[in-house]
Amino acid sequence: MTATVRLVRAEVRKLFTTRAVPVSVVIATLLAVGSVLIDAAVAGKSGAPALGSAAETYQMLKLGGLSAVIMLIIGILAAGGEFRHRTIVPALLATPHRAQVFTVKVAVIAVFGAVFSAIVFGLGLGTVVATLAAHGIHHLPTQTGRLYLGSVIAGACFGMIGVALGALTRNTVGAIVAAIAWAIFVEQIILQAVVPSLEKWLPVGASLGLTNPPSSGVLPPAAAGLVLTGYAAALLLLASRTTIRRDVS
Amino acid sequence: MSAITIRQLTKRYGPVLAVDDVSFQVHPGKVTGFLGPNGSGKTTTLRILLGLADPTSGSATIGGLAYHQLPDPVRQVGAALDSNTFHPGRTAAQHLKIIATSTGLPRGRVAEVLDLVGLTSVAGRRVGGFSLGMRQRLSLAGALLGDPSVLVLDEPLNGLDPEGIRWIRGLLRSLAAEGRTVLVSSHLLSEVAQTVDDVVVLSNGHVIAETTLSELAERSSVIRARTTDAARLVGVLLAAGLKVRLVGGDAVEARGADAEVIGLAAAAAGLPILELSRQDEDLETLFFDLVHDTQEVMA
Repeated sequence: MTATVRLVRAEVRKLFTTRAVPVSVVIATLLAVGSVLIDAAVAGKSGAPALGSAAETYQMLKLGGLSAVIMLIIGILAAGGEFRHRTIVPALLATPHRAQVFTVKVAVIAVFGAVFSAIVFGLGLGTVVATLAAHGIHHLPTQTGRLYLGSVIAGACFGMIGVALGALTRNTVGAIVAAIAWAIFVEQIILQAVVPSLEKWLPVGASLGLTNPPSSGVLPPAAAGLVLTGYAAALLLLASRTTIRRDVS
Repeated sequence: MSAITIRQLTKRYGPVLAVDDVSFQVHPGKVTGFLGPNGSGKTTTLRILLGLADPTSGSATIGGLAYHQLPDPVRQVGAALDSNTFHPGRTAAQHLKIIATSTGLPRGRVAEVLDLVGLTSVAGRRVGGFSLGMRQRLSLAGALLGDPSVLVLDEPLNGLDPEGIRWIRGLLRSLAAEGRTVLVSSHLLSEVAQTVDDVVVLSNGHVIAETTLSELAERSSVIRARTTDAARLVGVLLAAGLKVRLVGGDAVEARGADAEVIGLAAAAAGLPILELSRQDEDLETLFFDLVHDTQEVMA
């Protein structure tokens, strides 16, 4: 077995031996299924589109944002947690090649993010199909598959962005607070008010092009995927050139 | 050939010189005590040795190689840097299995080292609930996982109960008896005096002694002389090149000196000797004096 395969297995073991992952899976499942059921319950009422319409089904399938946020946090915990709990010390004593350890962590979180998002979207989609079938509706809008793929890509990208933020800050709480502050205050409130045309090019704005149905304010899916991957790559490169090389205390 | 070689090692953190031109060697088959007060640069030196920090200049090698150059570090070097490098939500066995998985060690080795450090009964418990002593044992288990020929342990006795201290002393001795290299740091000489063969003493980032424990013990021999004019005797002995100090107004203590030399010097100066006795200072006092003297010189 090569060193890389061993490291991958160790990273997967790390993921599944803390509570963050099982707790996230339970929360994501409940929220995905719950949000679909709530959307279904209010469909056709107080101005909401009717159940079975493309607009309503797209609304029910806006699940990529949920898995992306959870993957951002899991990514931060996976990388920042190594510094917070100082498990980075035994990790680097066992494998002193930092670039290799970091690369494997990024890859494992990206794949986990894709699988996790696929499961969350799959559960939500299953709930949508069952709910529609209960009302005698047996068709899905054309963009459903694209939203599924977009959510999987967004989950992988935000997992990687989380790893980069955790490594850059070496602090789980700081990174989570900074990420939320950026997403809500900087990107959604300040920048959207000052330069609204910029919004779709920023990380959260770009992700909407992947996880939401096509609309005028968001990037087309391919461009959105490229922009988001670019942010992940830039942040990972920055972390690998700075904090990853620094002394571990 | 020495197993560990530290050569002209210097580490600067901004304006602070944490390690200043430190050189020493650690040999196989022996337990070497790496001593010094807190903040003397011990842990920084060990971190550089283990590849966790980069030196400003100089080198720290194991078998001639820097840590990151070792082909299979976990089987060559076992290190326990401190007792707080665990995720509190993982169990003791999970923590060790992650290290074993990442390095390709057989899974059975986890149970073996847990048994060796006496943690088998709590292997399935989360580390968050462990006492300091249990964490120390788990750190040691991690260090022993790869059955390495070199062990580097930073303050391994901290937080252990007397039974644990006794056990770890025996373990370190037996590991050295098997021909392994054991480097163990401590801020208390008395803590490791029963265990170590060689000592390296660090103070303010400098090596102030690199010797054997027995040689260090010889230095602790103190001759006490009582006379009618102790202050004058201090002057006489200082002039004779001895290291002396005035004790209680009427006595003089000289460390590492010969009683005959003191007697003759006093007689030549016309000072009557009322008492001349040999007192073995305990090692801890010697250690304190050694460190204190250096700090005074440097101040």
